[in-house]
Amino acid sequence: MTESTNIVLYIHALSAGYGTLTVLRNIDLTVRRGDMIGIIGPNGAGKSTLLKTIRGFLPIRQGVVELCGTPIGKLRAGTFAQQAAYLKQHDGLLPGYTVRDVVATGRYPHLHWWQQEGENDRRIVDACMQYTGVMQVADRDMLTLSGGQQQRVLLAKILAQQTPLLFLDEPTAGLDVFYQEEILRLCRVLCTRGKTVILVVHELALAARFCTKLILLGAGMTAAIGKPAEVLTEENLSAVYGMPIAVQQNSTTGHLDIYSTPSSASGRDALLDVIIGKTGGADHD
Amino acid sequence: MINAKKPVWLIWIGMGIVCLFVVLLSLSLGQFPISVSHILQGIFLQDGGTSAAEEQAVLWNIRMPRTAVGFLVGGGLAVSGTIMQAVFLNPLADPAILGVSSGASLGAVLAIFSGSVVLGTVYMPLFAIVGAMLAVSLTVLLAVRHGRVKIMPLLLAGIVVGMLFNALTSGLLTMGTNQQLHQYLFWTIGGLDYRSWDHVYIAAGPIIGCICITSMLARHLNVLVLGDMEAQALGMRVIPFRLCVLTLASLLTAISVCVSGNIGFVGLVMPHMMRFIVGSDHRRLIPAAAFAGGVFLVFCDTLGRVIVPQTEIRAGIMTALLGTPYFLYILHKRLK
Repeated sequence: MTESTNIVLYIHALSAGYGTLTVLRNIDLTVRRGDMIGIIGPNGAGKSTLLKTIRGFLPIRQGVVELCGTPIGKLRAGTFAQQAAYLKQHDGLLPGYTVRDVVATGRYPHLHWWQQEGENDRRIVDACMQYTGVMQVADRDMLTLSGGQQQRVLLAKILAQQTPLLFLDEPTAGLDVFYQEEILRLCRVLCTRGKTVILVVHELALAARFCTKLILLGAGMTAAIGKPAEVLTEENLSAVYGMPIAVQQNSTTGHLDIYSTPSSASGRDALLDVIIGKTGGADHD
Repeated sequence: MINAKKPVWLIWIGMGIVCLFVVLLSLSLGQFPISVSHILQGIFLQDGGTSAAEEQAVLWNIRMPRTAVGFLVGGGLAVSGTIMQAVFLNPLADPAILGVSSGASLGAVLAIFSGSVVLGTVYMPLFAIVGAMLAVSLTVLLAVRHGRVKIMPLLLAGIVVGMLFNALTSGLLTMGTNQQLHQYLFWTIGGLDYRSWDHVYIAAGPIIGCICITSMLARHLNVLVLGDMEAQALGMRVIPFRLCVLTLASLLTAISVCVSGNIGFVGLVMPHMMRFIVGSDHRRLIPAAAFAGGVFLVFCDTLGRVIVPQTEIRAGIMTALLGTPYFLYILHKRLK
């Protein structure tokens, strides 16, 4: 396969936003088959906006987004859903839906409107539940599961969609550190088997371990893009997060340790005096 | 915890038995009781067997159409409620939410005031359907923003349109005669008394048709309840689909209301109750709600006939009397 046919997603000079507010400016990104791309950056940097725009949920103000060579605006809803799946944190579901009911909805884009799931669909749904480790709770109400289990169910649902491209919006939010690792590890394995994953992730150290490429956003613009070691530098992170950040390689694990260091020129001590009540309290005596 | 592991066939057999029991009760009980053996003879023997001609007349001309209308209306309202709960992602949404009932009531009042009622059985339902569809169209029109229909504006527009149509109805009623007011009162407290085969013929086609179409769309409703973005990500064209199912729900409510008057609680309570028995998968929930809605309404109507001797309590009152405790129970559970 040539280099150009390997390109799954091509983004050039993309600007997007909500209403009159422009959130993203001039974003360039090329995603190849098998890539695991992490979108990182501080809150409000435009990470989810980028993911929603390239999935077609938000209009493109300027620029180009092409999925396998076709501008996403020209894709029919069903075709787009056969090419790209999207996972977001689920916000409220009516009671009474079993895990199997939810995962089975992943087969929706592959069926005609009058069709019901067949034997092959059920086999795929079972395989996805087994892969993400939720088979033993297949008949339980979704609302009775823990956050980690629910997230794995939603991952099974988008796997059942059988798309070459997966968009994951904060798949590890609210999960404990081991579930976070597990979700990202599952994604990494999928990428080694030919899927392409683009995900928004807050945990920089985990992103460094599992992603093949990172895009660091700051105030809606690309601050850095490339391999994790090139992007996760003290200069880049300190500039984007607006605080001193240290990056060190852990000599035991070989992974990156990333942490913020105390700000020197803060002037916060005086504020703390007010908060704790060491000054100004006498006025009320 | 839902009951996906319960054998589905057991649930259907259970429902069938309850249904048979309620139908026999409905055909049997009333101011003119008919024994079960006479009912069976009346149905299965051409000459009616040993049952009297009077019994046959009551069975075929009064009890049967009444029971049939009850099943159709109860099923229609319950399926309409199921759709509304899926569209509004709220287990406490009911069929009246888009102003359908208010529109139908205004249509009915106009039919009474224009004197069309005396021209034939069909005119009042016709006016009611036109009123209901007018109300829904106005609700959707008010909720449209840039070609999109979002849930919250739709909900608010439904409340506003409902209030407007209620105000118009009240305004007309203040100018009515005593007889017209009595006719309207009879309509507004829904019931199944005096229902004839004409009403069955009016309601059967549209209600059964709409329920069948909704059943075919059940898998799509399962996707809609995941939320707009998830449904879109799965390839659904959310806005056209939502408008399509809202039209089905409105038609079901309008036709139900037009043959039996306003009957509350069936569309609210039955889908909710069935969700605990068969789960939320609409492929099971829609037929179960249709079935249970019919059984519930026929049961309420039967109970209303026998609970106070020498008089009848209309089905619309009975559904409220039986539905309120369940509603309060849900509320109590939610607040816990």
